[in-house]
Amino acid sequence: MENKKKQLRKGILELAILGALDRQSHYGFSLIKHLTGDNGIDLTEGTIYPILSRLSREGLVSAEWVESSQGPPRKYYVLTESGSEAHRVLAGEFTRLQELVARASGAIDRHDAPQDLPQIEVNKEANHDC
Amino acid sequence: MTVEMNDQVQKILDNYLGRLRRHLQGLPDGDREELVREIYSHIYDSYAQDETKDGVERILGVLDRLGEPSEVVSGHLSGSMKRMGRKRNLPFLILAGFFIGIFGLPLGVGGLVLLIGLGITLAALIFTYYVAAGAFVLSGWLTIIVTTIRIFYPHFFVENIHLLDQVLPPEFALPLNYAAGVILLLLGVGMVLQGRHIQRGARYLFGLPGQSMRHLRQKPWFIAAREKGEASIVANSLEGQV
Repeated sequence: MENKKKQLRKGILELAILGALDRQSHYGFSLIKHLTGDNGIDLTEGTIYPILSRLSREGLVSAEWVESSQGPPRKYYVLTESGSEAHRVLAGEFTRLQELVARASGAIDRHDAPQDLPQIEVNKEANHDC
Repeated sequence: MTVEMNDQVQKILDNYLGRLRRHLQGLPDGDREELVREIYSHIYDSYAQDETKDGVERILGVLDRLGEPSEVVSGHLSGSMKRMGRKRNLPFLILAGFFIGIFGLPLGVGGLVLLIGLGITLAALIFTYYVAAGAFVLSGWLTIIVTTIRIFYPHFFVENIHLLDQVLPPEFALPLNYAAGVILLLLGVGMVLQGRHIQRGARYLFGLPGQSMRHLRQKPWFIAAREKGEASIVANSLEGQV
């Protein structure tokens, strides 16, 4: 079960990171704070670093070191142009998947998805003709 | 705002960063140090924001939230590089190999040779089976062709057919030859088709060693032993430094 949870999280976390960076640049720690907010989602903080480095390798984000007045320098990440594009595409896909999950588990009743029913009837008629 | 880290806290931090570096063995020096600096920066910020009074408790909390070095680096390295980072297992493996060599070898060699011999025999039998099937198909096919040609050229291949000194009248010989050809052909094709059972059996038998290794690796006690080994190394190094 734990493994399944991890798998599901991985992709969605990546999308969330792209979304957060689309609005403003972040360094690792601020990104985690931004993602988890105050509601204490239990996130192993270190898991975002492999994702950031992969995104960086894929050219979706770029990074630069910035001196900090409060301690060691911080590595800031910004979304590149192809990163913005990837975020747009993935966010759209995520919305569609969300609807799919909601519909599959019955959260949206038939009223909200009227185009489904007629199609089934048409298929039935076609079968009768045969 | 400056953050004070006492000696103990510093030691715990150094230990963590050291383990992180070990996990990153195989990366170019520059990449490794950049990631370590980034993680250090994270720990510093996280430590500065934490309000736990006791320094040791605070740093342990920070590191716990951050996760183990293996989690922080997963994905930074390709699989082969990760294995390179596991060098600490090497002495143990060498020792194990040494003992197996001394005590297991005399017993093992005989058994191994027997197994390999049986395997080769089996492979040869399967090979023979297919050669026979191929011979049937070929001879059936050739019989049909020769018979067909003989309709037009009755003298074709005649010296070979007369080997038994029996000359059948053509109206009798033709259907007989065709029938023989078809039967041979079908026999060969049938053997090839039925060969899939043999193949399945052979795949099972030859796959057994690999399968049992996979099963062994999934056994809870095997996983537990491996994790325990890693955990005890971490615990030892912590005790040594704190």
